[in-house]
Amino acid sequence: MTKKLLNKTLGSYLIFSVIVLLTAAPVFYFATEALYREDADETLLINKNNFFHYSIPNMLEADIAVWNKMNRDIKIESATPALSKDTFFFQSYYDTLHAENEPYRILKTPVIIHKQPYTFTSKISLIESEDLIENIVLLFSIVLLLLLSGFYLLTKRFSLQLWKPFYKSLDYIEKFEIDKDLTVFFEESEIEEFNRLNQALTKFTVRNIRIYNGQREFIENAAHELQTPLAVFQAKIDTLFQRSDITEGQSEILSKLDDTATRLIKLNKNLLLLSKLESKQFAETETVLLNSIVEKQISFFEEQASAKNCQINLLIKEQLFVKSNPVLAEILISNLFLNAIRHNIQNGSILIKLEKNSITFSNNGINEMLVENRLFQRFNKTAHETFHFNSESSVKEERATYNKWSNAPVNSVKYLNSDSPGGLNQHLYTSGNGLGLAIIKKIADLNSWKINYNFQNNLHNFTLILPEHEI
Amino acid sequence: MKILLCEDERDLAESIQSYLKSNDILCEIATDKKSALSKISAFEYDCVLLDLMLPDGHGFDILTELKAQQKSEGIIITSAVETLDSRLEGFQLGADDYLTKPFHLSELLVRIQALVRRKKFKGNNLIDFKEVEIDLNSKSVKVNNSYIDITKKELDLLLFLIGNHNKVLSKSAIAEHLSGDMADMLDNHDFVYAHIKNLKKKLHEAGSNDYIKTVYGLGYKWQND
Repeated sequence: MTKKLLNKTLGSYLIFSVIVLLTAAPVFYFATEALYREDADETLLINKNNFFHYSIPNMLEADIAVWNKMNRDIKIESATPALSKDTFFFQSYYDTLHAENEPYRILKTPVIIHKQPYTFTSKISLIESEDLIENIVLLFSIVLLLLLSGFYLLTKRFSLQLWKPFYKSLDYIEKFEIDKDLTVFFEESEIEEFNRLNQALTKFTVRNIRIYNGQREFIENAAHELQTPLAVFQAKIDTLFQRSDITEGQSEILSKLDDTATRLIKLNKNLLLLSKLESKQFAETETVLLNSIVEKQISFFEEQASAKNCQINLLIKEQLFVKSNPVLAEILISNLFLNAIRHNIQNGSILIKLEKNSITFSNNGINEMLVENRLFQRFNKTAHETFHFNSESSVKEERATYNKWSNAPVNSVKYLNSDSPGGLNQHLYTSGNGLGLAIIKKIADLNSWKINYNFQNNLHNFTLILPEHEI
Repeated sequence: MKILLCEDERDLAESIQSYLKSNDILCEIATDKKSALSKISAFEYDCVLLDLMLPDGHGFDILTELKAQQKSEGIIITSAVETLDSRLEGFQLGADDYLTKPFHLSELLVRIQALVRRKKFKGNNLIDFKEVEIDLNSKSVKVNNSYIDITKKELDLLLFLIGNHNKVLSKSAIAEHLSGDMADMLDNHDFVYAHIKNLKKKLHEAGSNDYIKTVYGLGYKWQND
């Protein structure tokens, strides 16, 4: 279990204080009591010496009874049993005046009066001392308590003050997002350690921002630089298509090359788009009606969906006006469409719901939930890939063909679909490039929208949650 | 028809040149800004294809120069760079079209044809191929002088095929042409087959020859046999 730094320090202080208080109070009590007892004993001894020195020489045997009658605290009694030395002890006597037992310190000592042995008894009331001790201990405890609580409160206040820059930096780092914050700023502090920490953090974040930007630029530049060779590649394939001397086997290779080029080009375009999104090239926003984007795109995607014989149903409950870059809103919606079709099953269905503050694309697909935390990462297509190979009936045949590719001479390969050229390469398209959901997420992030995924009633639901009162 | 191709990537330039040549377009190549400028001032072209990143300068400089010389050539920018800004700037400087690399040669060809048609044959928007006649203004098609019922997509497909006659067109090239702005969202090119089938049927029923050939394993071709 983790604790807050302040609580940890103060907790230690508190435990220490309680221990000190609990041990100090009884120790103090007993120490004071012992001191007082010594004091009482000394007084008793003085009484005894005074008695021995001044009273005994003048004392007659008959005086003893008178003495005892006149003195309450010093008595002379017959020595039964006989004592050999000074004996101190405590004893309580009933005080008739106050009607309660009072503690006394008593000294008994043997004494010889006119050659007769007697016992000298002197007593001292401890009642005042007890009150004193109690008061002293109480006072002491109060002082100690005041001291410790003051100490505690002061430390708490000081610590809060002292750690303030630390908590500020912590707050800053917690909120820091490398793809959003372009600069870092930590406040100057009076404390050297915190300044050192802030300097280290600044250095660290600045370095990371630089590396991040470097990588982003690298991806953007790489994607841009790839466009020209891809153009050459595509042009050469287009040129090769026009050759009249191509054999059947060669034409199949060529068709595959063309499909691969198409995939490459799309992948590169998506990479470019992602890096443009990250470098915020679509900053300008305006009011966009999502309904009209969906309605504009639906016929295009209905055509796409018909390849899998999928039905697209549209359920409009609200007019969704949002603030967004119009290009991004279109890309977002089209990627949601594409995702719903791409991962759908044969004869599946797609439901698009426009509700208050949300738009949901639901589609059939594999009958299990996708791993959500990896879903929106780039090039995460494991779930979809597995799905693809399970769901397409022609896959086995296609795979068989692939195996032949590697083992047999090219011209021996027989193809499946004769009427529709290149038809067997369909799965090259349906497997996607693993960037669609990353693009959706990125655009949602840029617009401060949320994209949620869940799996219910065999439907994969992607819901875009729009902030309330956006317009 | 004569066009100037400003392109520093020689392989690409040669492919474009050879593709266009068999459709009666003569293509001269300039691989840098200097030679492009000297060619422009010496000859007349129907169209200029302009790459933006040239070794000795920017394509926009050539564009500015063309406008300064009050040349009437149609200009298509063919660039690997595509940002909203570069597009806007290109159009503002007087470009007529913007084609982002990579592109299909078939797409480039129909873009050139459309541009030259717009620039040169104002008012005359009739395209004919034997018994097939297309009126671009009214977006109608006549076969043997009688109108046929044709959808917008089918008309688009017909224009693309005739524009690229005798060329083998891959399904992806046709699909991308038909999808326009949404081409990047294509996941499946099977719909091309349906459109081809329908177009073929309509033309055939109207008494046209069967010009649309299926090229086994590759795609389709408009061919006069």
